[in-house]
Amino acid sequence: MALTTVVKGRAYDWSHAIGRGAANGTGFNYPQTMCLGNDGDLYVANRGNENNFGMRVNRITVGGPGDEELLSEFCTYGETDGHGVWPFGVAVDKSNNVFVTDEWQNTVSVFDGDGKFIRKWGTTGSGPGQLKGPSGIVCESNGNVIVVDSGNDRLQVFSPDGKVLAQCGSSGSGDGEFNKPWGITLDKDSNIYVADWKNHRVQKLSPSGKYLSSIGEYGTIPAAPNAFAVTYLGPFVSSVPETEYPKAGVLNHPTDVAVDPDGDIYITDWGNHRVCIFDSEGNSLTHLVGDAQVMSKWGQQSCDANPDMMKAYRRVHSLEPMWRFCFPTAVDFNPKTNQIIVADSQRNRLQVYNKVTDYVDFQANL
Amino acid sequence: MAHQDDINLMAHLMRRAGFGAGRDEIETRVAKGYDATVEELLNPNTMPAVDPYVLLRHQPAALLPGGQPPMGNVNYMYYLVNTKRPLQEKMALFWHHVFATGNSKVDNYDQLLEQIDMFRNEGMGNYRDLLLKTAKNPTMLFWLDNNQNHGTAVNENWGRELLELFSLGAGNYTEVDVRECSRAFTGWTFETKIPRLPYGRFPWKFEYRPEDHDDGIKTFLGHTGNFNGEDIIDIIVTQPACAKFICRHLYNFFVADEAQVPAWPIDPPRDPDAVAAMAAVFRATKGDITSVLRTMFMSDFFKNARYKHLKSPAEVVVGTLRLMGGFEIPKPGYGELSMQPSYMGQDLLNPPSVEGWHTGAEWINSGALMSRINFVAEQVGNTDMPGVKSIVSRLKAQGSLAPEQMVNSCLDLLGPVEVGPDTMKELTDQVKEWGQVRWDTPANEQAAIKHTGELLQLIVATREYQFA
Repeated sequence: MALTTVVKGRAYDWSHAIGRGAANGTGFNYPQTMCLGNDGDLYVANRGNENNFGMRVNRITVGGPGDEELLSEFCTYGETDGHGVWPFGVAVDKSNNVFVTDEWQNTVSVFDGDGKFIRKWGTTGSGPGQLKGPSGIVCESNGNVIVVDSGNDRLQVFSPDGKVLAQCGSSGSGDGEFNKPWGITLDKDSNIYVADWKNHRVQKLSPSGKYLSSIGEYGTIPAAPNAFAVTYLGPFVSSVPETEYPKAGVLNHPTDVAVDPDGDIYITDWGNHRVCIFDSEGNSLTHLVGDAQVMSKWGQQSCDANPDMMKAYRRVHSLEPMWRFCFPTAVDFNPKTNQIIVADSQRNRLQVYNKVTDYVDFQANL
Repeated sequence: MAHQDDINLMAHLMRRAGFGAGRDEIETRVAKGYDATVEELLNPNTMPAVDPYVLLRHQPAALLPGGQPPMGNVNYMYYLVNTKRPLQEKMALFWHHVFATGNSKVDNYDQLLEQIDMFRNEGMGNYRDLLLKTAKNPTMLFWLDNNQNHGTAVNENWGRELLELFSLGAGNYTEVDVRECSRAFTGWTFETKIPRLPYGRFPWKFEYRPEDHDDGIKTFLGHTGNFNGEDIIDIIVTQPACAKFICRHLYNFFVADEAQVPAWPIDPPRDPDAVAAMAAVFRATKGDITSVLRTMFMSDFFKNARYKHLKSPAEVVVGTLRLMGGFEIPKPGYGELSMQPSYMGQDLLNPPSVEGWHTGAEWINSGALMSRINFVAEQVGNTDMPGVKSIVSRLKAQGSLAPEQMVNSCLDLLGPVEVGPDTMKELTDQVKEWGQVRWDTPANEQAAIKHTGELLQLIVATREYQFA
């Protein structure tokens, strides 16, 4: 894919990458979800692992290339108040309170914008208000939060202090049913979009939870002949033309969804290592496969401090595997900057694209 | 109701061709039949593969875990515990044991996992194809220094181990053969991979560099020509010693414990006729591993080899976790769980040397034995585990049980496990202290469940339980 993709009056222009693998400090550790704060700062929930226990939420600025700064880290590993075992979803309300779901402890913890613990709620179970493997979370404009109660295949609406108000959805593959859903977002009309992970689709629901439509069906993108497997589960990188790209409407375990003010829909097609873009009617526009041809600021710092890395880079035949998404988990759209931010989970970084609506073509005979 | 002999035989098959099975599965397989079960095991593609996406959703670090434990072990353990293709997974473990490569040098668990996945996919196919894929596997190339085997400066590490440990065995080649073999593999290397900082691990890719290959004439095992590595492998697989060597490995892994590999040039096989029968199939099918396995599992020497194999730590841990249930979805603590075999002397993905692990009685020392017993006892003593609940349910269905009946039933449901008279007396004496096992009142049922867990703990601490 080119750095700039032009399609149907839109242009998607790769901007920069942010981050590096890090158990703490400037970097990420397997981001699962993320959320933009009111001031444009980004909150990223990191799953961590059982070697470095880098579970945490970090708050960063995004900006343009090289502008990123780490502001704070909180909800680090632990079972006590203010900590998390398996942090998963993160959401920010109008007052910059941060809500974090814990997939293992079946809780929702609330922090202020600086990461100071305020309260938490949640008990394990399948009854009203109980949780089983909560994943995504989103704040409504009225202050309530919708939790993707993934293990129970439903959405639950809670007041800010944890009182259950409503629920919708059940296990299955029919309209309004879910199979281990993951991420969630709202559009400007408060319609609800849910990444229905094991059903390989995104469902759109009305603000009251009524099924409206869905996008996607299960499909994988075949590896081209002689493709090079970046991991044994993909992505597959090949110099052979990618005749199968883009393959419209096909999703493999989608994890998250974002909607921009124009109504365009962005879906992280996790198992196919890409972000699929649809118009508001669900028609496929294009996809992004990751284009990190320039090292991130923090990543470059790691390399600069390790001369052997730099030496090795100069012997590598092709850096293309490094550009590509590897199991992207989350996508957000910042309406103030027109930035599409993608959590490139296995690479412990974000990739940022600009959506350019007034793109002027270049002179074709250059 | 299934005949006890059929239960015993099926349990034996599943312990060896897999990692054991609970009583429900054994009864289902007995109804299906021994021969049909062997065929199902030999055709793994008829059963669903493990879903890696569930693992990666919960433990994403298990895909590219780098060089530090335990996330690579989490990945491997997840497959071992969840597989519905037990023989395929057992064969991957077998080849990991024979073509042993380890993280101690490779420092890339992701590369080792990729190699295991290759064994998973190719391990029941043709031996020649598998050996060629292994020869091109970057993890192996790095492990045995073939990236330093140049046309102008031969490194014999890969060439020597290929002959000594991977195909023929010591005594079936000369030092000249080692040299000539190594010359043929010059130029077999891998591309420089994208380094680990700052975005994590990227894979190696095999690369053949013709300018670094020795194009001279070689004489190898009596053949002369301008051989490349693939020609060497073609010569190796036709050697009678190759069939015997691989089949003796299979016998040791699946049938009965043999002497350690370095002693093979001196000590004859435990059952030379059995190894010869398997080797004949190996030669007749030009190295078709599935055909050799079929011959082995259908043979009397296999069926009569019950409890002649000391369980490896992997068999202990995986067998226990599969029997207990509840480990299908990764959970916090899976890392520590997946390291349990290493505490018992078998550090998966990190064998002690290219020779793999020493097996049989060498698995046991005082520390390793305590680790085995403590781990299994902790699991089977937890009466909330689905596997223990299943045993309790079957005991309850038998009604009130005298101490001897209780011991026999628990031995039966936990294996069956066969114990000697001394062990039987010890176990029975203990249960006699508890008296008749009754389920008629809530208090009696609670006591019966508690005693079931305690008796299971005693059984897994016996000498006999260490054998499969």
